[in-house]
Amino acid sequence: MSKISRRDFLKTIGGAGLIASTVPSTFLTDLYAFSTSANLSQVEAWFYKKLPDKEIKCELCPRYCKLGDKERGYCGVRENKNGIYYTLVYGKVCAAHIDPIEKKPFFHFLPGTPAFSIATAGCNVNCKFCQNWQISQVRPEQVENVDLPPRDVVRYCLKYRCPTIAYTYTEPVIFYEYVYDTSVEASKKRIRNVVVTGAHINPEPMEKLTKVVDAIKIDFKAFSEDFYQKYVRGELEPVLEAARIVKKSGKWMEIVYLVIPTLNDSPEEIRKMCKWVIKDIGPDVPVHFSRFHPMYLIKNLPPTPVSTLERARNIALEEGINYVYIGNVPGHMAESTYCPNCKNIVIKRFAYQILQKNLKRGKCKFCGQPIPGVWS
Amino acid sequence: MRKSRVVLIKGKGVLSDNQINIKILSVMLRKGLSLLGQVNNFHEALIQFFTPRDKVGIKINTIAGKKLSTKPQVSLALANLLNQVGIKERNIIIWDRTNKELKGAGYRLNYNGSGIRIFGTDTRGINYEYNLTIHRNIGSRFSKIQSKLINKSISLAILKDHGIAGITGVMKNYFGAIHNPNKYHDTNCDPYIAELSEVGLIKNKNKLSILDGLIVQYHRGPSYHSQWAEKCECFILSTDPVASDFIGWQLIEKIRKKKGLPTLEEEKRKPYYLFTAEKMGLGKANLNEIQLIEYEV
Repeated sequence: MSKISRRDFLKTIGGAGLIASTVPSTFLTDLYAFSTSANLSQVEAWFYKKLPDKEIKCELCPRYCKLGDKERGYCGVRENKNGIYYTLVYGKVCAAHIDPIEKKPFFHFLPGTPAFSIATAGCNVNCKFCQNWQISQVRPEQVENVDLPPRDVVRYCLKYRCPTIAYTYTEPVIFYEYVYDTSVEASKKRIRNVVVTGAHINPEPMEKLTKVVDAIKIDFKAFSEDFYQKYVRGELEPVLEAARIVKKSGKWMEIVYLVIPTLNDSPEEIRKMCKWVIKDIGPDVPVHFSRFHPMYLIKNLPPTPVSTLERARNIALEEGINYVYIGNVPGHMAESTYCPNCKNIVIKRFAYQILQKNLKRGKCKFCGQPIPGVWS
Repeated sequence: MRKSRVVLIKGKGVLSDNQINIKILSVMLRKGLSLLGQVNNFHEALIQFFTPRDKVGIKINTIAGKKLSTKPQVSLALANLLNQVGIKERNIIIWDRTNKELKGAGYRLNYNGSGIRIFGTDTRGINYEYNLTIHRNIGSRFSKIQSKLINKSISLAILKDHGIAGITGVMKNYFGAIHNPNKYHDTNCDPYIAELSEVGLIKNKNKLSILDGLIVQYHRGPSYHSQWAEKCECFILSTDPVASDFIGWQLIEKIRKKKGLPTLEEEKRKPYYLFTAEKMGLGKANLNEIQLIEYEV
């Protein structure tokens, strides 16, 4: 099957802006020293039910794929083999980089630190605007994978002094077992774990995941079921439920809303989402309104006008959300964190760089207002 | 309006102890083709669709393992008929998604050697197109076999019940020509199967549709389950992929009824995509619009 060469892969990822300037040159050399994996993993999956006649029902995500022998789920990375359901991507990494944590984006989680960021192929939705479709909308055979078992992820984190592992780029839900085991392994070395997800996941696995990771960034693709059905091939309600579970767990959470012109940018929809945030997960959860760029199956729309993003931000502030950011617009004032009390800049950013930090033990240096987040 | 012609050809004894009787198989294909072309012999029929300069792909179906895949004897017999009308062996490719699945179904791979070529899309140097082909709800990379190596194709598919789509036949067989078929199984695969069939790389190239009904998986497909696999010893041939799948569906319903199973509609998996395809003008999904020729050799 179609494999992306390393050169193409780097080009692709580079094009998507995923290689950070902070990547040590030796890291890439090291990465290529990993053994390239010709075979896929055969690790029994979690969260599935065996049915008669060698059929299975996957219970990881709200799709509940029911599969016969030799069939794969919608995600393309889990396969029923003779009545046993396997993950094919455990430890099979198709993207690995050292990124600033701001790139995820996490703005209230160890700012200015690098995150060892990994992904496997596959995804359990099919967003028509996916920015990483070359690795998310493929089967694992169609990309180049390297073997990176949990202990090696931890080893490289320590070597490159990354305080955090980020499970990102594609959809960590579909490499759940790998995320879980790596997180457990990393925690032993006091390495943090963050998950960047669309959160199209069932409550039980989400609850279990919150027990081993430190922070979760959830993408809201829109705030309507209609949009989710049409442009995501998923459902909104399970995503909202997942966010409530994260909130209940006490783990750090940030929300990203990719604003797509004409499709999910109406003031009414944005306001509805903000009201939900206030009511269900609270005003201190940071919300990032990100700029859309034409990609994958939606190439007929222009990039989001900055004024639309600013309008969304104003609505969120009006509704009472304390930390509202604008993403993918380098140099915009809304990249910085402002103290909701004295309005001074607490963290000044330019793109992924931290220019100034006016934070003392988690409080605003100017007025002493506690700023929620994980700061150390 | 002209009806779509479909030939249902039966060959008693073509399968004996799961072994193919090559003589009967050959007669079935030859007679089936001549009935389809309404001509004297298979040669006259095939030259209606192919010229000696063509490069022809035979897209087979090997996902379900040896017991429920296109048997090498069947695809090779068809390839030999193509060769007999002047198409060079090297210009005939029998193919599917992966070499592993082909080997698993009993094929001996042949990429560079002389003779009829047999290989999967995952062969080094082949693979999928890098760019997406976008059409309606379809956004997929096509196998370069379908897009580049051939100019005409034959869908030679196994007739099976399908837990989501209702049935899988010559139309769904082309899910094996794209990189992301897993993304098109929502809502009974409707409208995806129809929309994929409308993509130029398939619609313009597919000249012949043959459903292999030697053994029909009439329940719990597309995986193989011996208790629901019926020896039917037939092929369904047409130039209209919708009509051939429609007749295949009728056959599955007939067997299900005989076995006391509910209809696919009752199981909420009627193959709606056939009707979508008909609305799109891709073929006929209505018995009144189909000229069905049944023949036993």
